[in-house]
Amino acid sequence: MSINLFYVPALLVFVALTVYPLISGFQMSFTNWDGYSAARSFVGLENYARLLQDTTFRQVLANTVVYGVGSTLIQQVLGLALALALDRPMRGRGVLRAIVYLPVLVSPVIMGTMYYLLLQYNNGALNDLVGLVGAGPFAWLSSANGSVAIIVLVNSLQFVGLSMIIYLAGLQSIPEMYYEAASLDGARGRQLFAHITLPLLRPAIATSVILNLIGGLKLFDIIKVLTNGGPGYSTNSVSTFIGVTYFDAQSAGYASAMGIVLFVMIMATTLALNGLLNRRRLDS
Amino acid sequence: MRTRTTALAAITALALAGCSSGTGDSATSAPDDAATTEVEALSGALEFMTGTSIDSELYLAYEDITEAFESANPDVSIELVPSSTDHEGEVKTRLASGNTPDLWMTHGWSLLRYSEFLMPLTDELWAKDVNPALDPAMRDGDGAIYALPLDVDVAGLLYNADVLASVGVTPEDIRTWEDFTAACDEITAAGKTAIYTAGKDRWPTGLFVDWIAPGAYDEAALGTQADGTLVPESYQVALDKVAQFRDSGYFNPDYTSATSDDISLALAQGDTGFSFLMNFVAVTAYTYNPDANVGFMPIPSASGGDPYLVVGEKNAIGISSTTESPDAARAYLAFLAQPDNGSVLAKASGSAPGLTTATSDLGALQASHDAWVGKVPSVPYFDRVYMPNGAWDTIVSTTEGVLTNQMSVSDAMAKVATDFDSLTAQAQS
Repeated sequence: MSINLFYVPALLVFVALTVYPLISGFQMSFTNWDGYSAARSFVGLENYARLLQDTTFRQVLANTVVYGVGSTLIQQVLGLALALALDRPMRGRGVLRAIVYLPVLVSPVIMGTMYYLLLQYNNGALNDLVGLVGAGPFAWLSSANGSVAIIVLVNSLQFVGLSMIIYLAGLQSIPEMYYEAASLDGARGRQLFAHITLPLLRPAIATSVILNLIGGLKLFDIIKVLTNGGPGYSTNSVSTFIGVTYFDAQSAGYASAMGIVLFVMIMATTLALNGLLNRRRLDS
Repeated sequence: MRTRTTALAAITALALAGCSSGTGDSATSAPDDAATTEVEALSGALEFMTGTSIDSELYLAYEDITEAFESANPDVSIELVPSSTDHEGEVKTRLASGNTPDLWMTHGWSLLRYSEFLMPLTDELWAKDVNPALDPAMRDGDGAIYALPLDVDVAGLLYNADVLASVGVTPEDIRTWEDFTAACDEITAAGKTAIYTAGKDRWPTGLFVDWIAPGAYDEAALGTQADGTLVPESYQVALDKVAQFRDSGYFNPDYTSATSDDISLALAQGDTGFSFLMNFVAVTAYTYNPDANVGFMPIPSASGGDPYLVVGEKNAIGISSTTESPDAARAYLAFLAQPDNGSVLAKASGSAPGLTTATSDLGALQASHDAWVGKVPSVPYFDRVYMPNGAWDTIVSTTEGVLTNQMSVSDAMAKVATDFDSLTAQAQS
């Protein structure tokens, strides 16, 4: 058996930065370590049992699903619409594509800060605008549901360019002859889209959905900057709540158990989606 | 990094004045002996996590004093590390990874959280001069102390006297929570915010519990809680008060997006009557408006006792028990503890000095200090003494949940009780 030595550096990095922390986190989830002191005791499945009874964790888990699914849905609809619009020959197409894609290159922290400046109560740009018509000011980030919706929207708008690029690549890989043949058979606009474009975009849909879903489920930066998880715990995702639990609440063992749950959740979702979308692709 | 070399050298008078190690085997003789006594020179490299931002007055004072210490001790180098916004997280990460700094600012936790990592400093010459008000927070049952306090955190209710005067109230009028809410009603009716607080920074919200709860417990209940059993009916008084303030419309509408800087601004501009925050917010308010009329007053007691102030450790510096340059570290602390240096550092932090040998000009807050400190009772920070280590986040989040009406008081209490028990068990295991 021969080993390609070119794999070794990547393998070492993967083991050091992914496998080792995963195993270490798994071990830690069975302890009551506070995150900094030398003492830690084995507590078995206590942390996992606590998770089942923790109503705050349930709320955080629900938020995470909303961030993941909500962002994914918005990004698919908007991303595909933009891809369809910007796939047509038109002047300034390249510039428009770049404008839509540029936010993907911006750090989520910067993006979150920009939206914070737009949305803040005092001197926020949005309140200045509504003030021009004599309304407001409004505390846009004061309610839990409103803040969750804003976070979903901000995340979606930032990464819609990623979906657009994936769909553009998918659209450009569809041979023109399919459309020509269908047109000869009398197919028009919606029919072409439903029976040719959409089925042949399935690989692109699979890629975009999985990437967006993982990104949404791991959402961290924008939440920290926009709401810092508040009010109360109401806008935390599992990722931000892990940070709060590990560092602020000094419960590293419990936070590790949350991390394992998040890992399993993302892995199960990814495998299920991969299986589902690949099966449909094979069926078609 | 922390190699320790020794050499024979005469120690300068400046350094010797700062060296006060009681047990060290290196340069610790008196200045008068410097010219005639050859002793082992201090050496080593120290890393000091200052816990203060690079543009703060305190950091600048550290730089000046450290430079003087290094000039007097050329074989000692000290790396001052400014803080980000998360000094606590940085310190915990360093401790967890075993990459412990030689010195760090203990931000109120030298005894309860960090003492297992710190060198006892009870025998240092300055230790006898520690302000006695700090004893409950900084000394253990045997009187041992683990950090040099540069200042004392004395806090009460911050107020804008002009706003209070505009509704016919003086700070001296407010002795009960009924007096306080009556004043808040007047301020609200006058179209101003009665209580300004900040949700974006999160931590200020926890101070409602720290400020109100001590007055809701009697001595027996405090003892019970210190021993690891939550007294929920007393704790709930603080959350009930927050719910009452919320329902009365006392809080600023931009609570969620406001920061502690916004509180300073509101106090400076006379947009608010009160704030439950430490005095540094008032110090910042004076930078926004030097003519502001901001002070602090004692906190009413929920059980009808005397109003009180909250006193605790603030900027204190501990030495790692594993430092490779313990003598240099102790000498550095002794240098900081010298009356002149201690006074400079306390003034830079805007607080009363932590050592009785130092003095501090509190500027515009001096009047409040003179009016109340030593004349009304003081209590320690509630969360540091009567809640388990690590409970602060629970305190903040549950209080914020009640303040924003995202959590009922009973749900908040259930969360407090669960986390209290869990953290207590964690600490006892």
